[in-house]
Amino acid sequence: MRKVALALVLVLAWLSMSVPALSDCRLHRGQRVVLYSTTDDPSVLIWDSRARLREYHAASFDEAQAMLPHALLVAPGTHAVVLSCVANFVESPIFQRPDDAVGVVITSGAQRGITRWVLGSDVRLMSH
Amino acid sequence: MKNTPLARVSGTILLTAFLVLTLVFAVQGSFETRAQITNTFDRQSQIQQAQIDLEELLRLQIDEENSLRGYSLTRDPFYAGQYRQAAAGYDAKESAIRRTLREQRLIGAEQLLGTYAHLQSEWRKDVAAPLLRHPGERLDELDKRNKLFSDYETGTVAAIRQALAGTDAALVRSTQLQLDRSSYVRAAWVLVFGLLAILFNTYRSRLNRELEEERTISEILQRAFRSESMPLPHCEVGSAYVSATTHLAVGGDVFDVYRLSDTLALVLIADISGKGVDAAVLTAFIKFMIRAIALRKSEPSEILDEFNGAFAKAVGNPYLFVSMFVGVLDTSTFLLRYGSAGHDCAFVRTRDGVARLSITGPVLGVMEEPFGSEAIELHKGDILVLATDGLTEVRNRAGVQLSERGAMELIERATPHAQALADELVAQARARGGNRLRDDLAVLTIRVDGDPPDA
Repeated sequence: MRKVALALVLVLAWLSMSVPALSDCRLHRGQRVVLYSTTDDPSVLIWDSRARLREYHAASFDEAQAMLPHALLVAPGTHAVVLSCVANFVESPIFQRPDDAVGVVITSGAQRGITRWVLGSDVRLMSH
Repeated sequence: MKNTPLARVSGTILLTAFLVLTLVFAVQGSFETRAQITNTFDRQSQIQQAQIDLEELLRLQIDEENSLRGYSLTRDPFYAGQYRQAAAGYDAKESAIRRTLREQRLIGAEQLLGTYAHLQSEWRKDVAAPLLRHPGERLDELDKRNKLFSDYETGTVAAIRQALAGTDAALVRSTQLQLDRSSYVRAAWVLVFGLLAILFNTYRSRLNRELEEERTISEILQRAFRSESMPLPHCEVGSAYVSATTHLAVGGDVFDVYRLSDTLALVLIADISGKGVDAAVLTAFIKFMIRAIALRKSEPSEILDEFNGAFAKAVGNPYLFVSMFVGVLDTSTFLLRYGSAGHDCAFVRTRDGVARLSITGPVLGVMEEPFGSEAIELHKGDILVLATDGLTEVRNRAGVQLSERGAMELIERATPHAQALADELVAQARARGGNRLRDDLAVLTIRVDGDPPDA
């Protein structure tokens, strides 16, 4: 009986942490998006894992440079479809608040068909 | 308990000094606050300028990158020139911002700017230089490195921006704090100033009240000491008095015209050595004592004799003496019997001119010698002029005394009416002394207006 109660508590604790994170995510699976970074430099780095995406934004310049082989640079305006989203996953000293990590499949350009992770603020929802 | 004059002056000076001091502190505090606020505003202005310059720096950096992209895509040398121009502008602006940050001792922001400049320099070496060498080639790795630089520079600029904004906000808070503190301090000074002013006003009111009381007492005493002249039958009496102590109407001179009987009148003028209130007290003593003696004895020499003996005993001051003219005028015959105790300012003006009445004895209070009496018969129009040495001893600017002769000339030229003559003599004496008299001056004039009733 005690084991069941403990398991229930653990499940509830996991839900309390994960459900809000999922529900806070701005994007949802299946949404069509356009990749576009800042106006100063609108091309977007896409990463082979969300962990590297997070590390890149927290790393020093040299560390980040060493990680570049794991990233692809796509032109601004590249189309994609959202596969998954992890809310507030990426933190950086220059961010005012944590950003989402968004898993996408590229649907246009030379990288069409590949699946990568991209920063939430580099993803713009396409208007229907 | 009343304040002494010295305590009054000290108290007034002390309170005034406190008031002035409070005012000085308040004004100085205001100037200090103004200087601090001006300094803060200057600093704030420089930081705001650095913020503007930073945005300009970012724009130049973007210009640099865009020019490079343009050159890489088109191979047009125009873009290469634009790139170099933007790079030069970036370096100049970066130096200017670095100077400001150093002057303002914003070490954190200066370090971040150093990082930013270093990144830009690395970018030029790692990205810009290869692209300038191989324009038109697609170099994916360089593009990624460019993105990396861009991300880091953006981050660094954001951090600098944040540091400057933080300092700016801190300065605003500091200014607000200074203003608040200044307001409180100023309010405190105003409160202190106000309290001192109230204290000062209360003190001054108290002093005024005391002075008013003293003035009232002084006026009462002055009325008692003042010389008097009663009207006499068939005579016109005039008098004038000026005290050397300007704020007092009493001094060391005294005159008196007092009717002893229906036909006899006492005529007195005396000058006591000294002046001011002390001398004035003695004039009252002399006036009433001579009256008392004259009521019993009508011979001027006897009056002077008796007074001389009594004066030395009553006053007991060997340094004090009095010159005196005592006359007893018979208004039925206009015969004037007089005695002059060293008083040399007694004149009679007749149709023949002005004559001085002779001295019949020494000044009073010096020695016990018998005094003599003289007699003179007055006629219609004659004027008896009695004055104190304030008239004959008045000096002009050159220091020359008027003298008896000068006084006689003035009397001869003056209007032949008792009061007008007295006023003229005083006016002439004032004019000669430069509107300021060093000694008291009393003038008593009696003009015979009619024939003797007996005639």
